[in-house]
Amino acid sequence: MRIIALTCPSCGTIVAANELEEAVLMTCPGLECEETLGFEQLSEADRKHFIEHLDQYRL
Amino acid sequence: MKGVLLAGGRGTRLRPITNTRPKQLVPVANSPVIQYGIEAFREAGITEIGVVLGNKGRERIQRFLGDGSEFGVDITYIVQGNPLGLSHAVGCARAFVGSDDFVLYLGDNIFEDDLSELVTGFANSEAVASVALGNVDNPQRFGVADVDDQRNVTRVVEKPDDPPSSLAVLGVYAFSREVFDAIERLEPSWRGELEITDAIQLLLEDGLTIRSHVVDGWWMDVGKPEDVLEANRHLLETNGPARADERVDESEIPDGVEVHESATVEDGTVLRGPISIAGDTTIGDGASIGPYTSIGPGTTVRNAHIENSVIIGDSKITTENEVVNSLLGRGSTVKSANGMPADSPRLTVGENSIITL
Ligand SMILES: [Zn+2]
Repeated sequence: MRIIALTCPSCGTIVAANELEEAVLMTCPGLECEETLGFEQLSEADRKHFIEHLDQYRL
Repeated sequence: MKGVLLAGGRGTRLRPITNTRPKQLVPVANSPVIQYGIEAFREAGITEIGVVLGNKGRERIQRFLGDGSEFGVDITYIVQGNPLGLSHAVGCARAFVGSDDFVLYLGDNIFEDDLSELVTGFANSEAVASVALGNVDNPQRFGVADVDDQRNVTRVVEKPDDPPSSLAVLGVYAFSREVFDAIERLEPSWRGELEITDAIQLLLEDGLTIRSHVVDGWWMDVGKPEDVLEANRHLLETNGPARADERVDESEIPDGVEVHESATVEDGTVLRGPISIAGDTTIGDGASIGPYTSIGPGTTVRNAHIENSVIIGDSKITTENEVVNSLLGRGSTVKSANGMPADSPRLTVGENSIITL
């Protein structure tokens, strides 16, 4: 199973795609980081794979 | 070598305590469980640690660990969100780990042994993984490893009816980056999770070598209230064995008793080590504490006899009855029922509860 995650460019905090998809846009959960992270920042291939296999990433 | 510490999971077996705090922050011998994992990494010389957070209690874990500097380590957070399995958690850590080897440590585990033997044995080998194993009486309830005469793992089976050995797979592993490719090839198990044992099995099927390291010392997966009490007992025992009652007079603290400098222990209190009493705590009016008891910060104990128990903190215990084999959540009150007899029930009490005994 492909594991898709985004690394915050400011602080290195990593967020799994399922979290990004649920939040649409989120403030980076890293400590005192103001960066905005979103599902759209994933590569097109990752987004496509995630949406096509959505059931795998949900419980 | 990097460290990946898993701090997700729902902690359902520790309810009601985990209704209000993640299980990794339940204190044992007055330190949260997760702190033992961080210290184990640091003592093995691993200071770059990725902490994988689930979707429950993550801000509290971040508030406790901060950037790691207070513990002498450097923490990167990895938000896994949905608990999609240990292999999914590891997969989320891929960008953090990069091309390094890493140790995976389940954040609700405590080991008496340090990690250095596992780490150096793995680093000096050709193996792509090393698995900590422990001898257990009931292997049917664990992931179980079969090993050859060189102690290399030949097979891992989850909760087998017919276990190939009594060696349970414990909560600490070392991996090289090959594991990430194995994880990408996994499919979710029947419970919808990517299992770490399946990743290990795939590495074996690829013909790669997996070492094992049998843990001699005590270890505990702190999942249930009785596990908290047992872990508390073992960790306090490092202060020495159970002692006879010793009455405290003129601020003399007996052996085996750890008392924070901001705690007040009044004359006439009976302390029976090993025990740990945290700061801003008052013990008095003939209270008797111990053995094997941790009293968390901000607690007042009067009259009561408390034995083999963990009081998380900010509690008021004034019952004239005994509190034995109990785990009391933060802010709980246990008071006296005006002469009503009671026979020391075993308590697991959530945050801010009031019990009349
Ligand atoms: Zn950030």
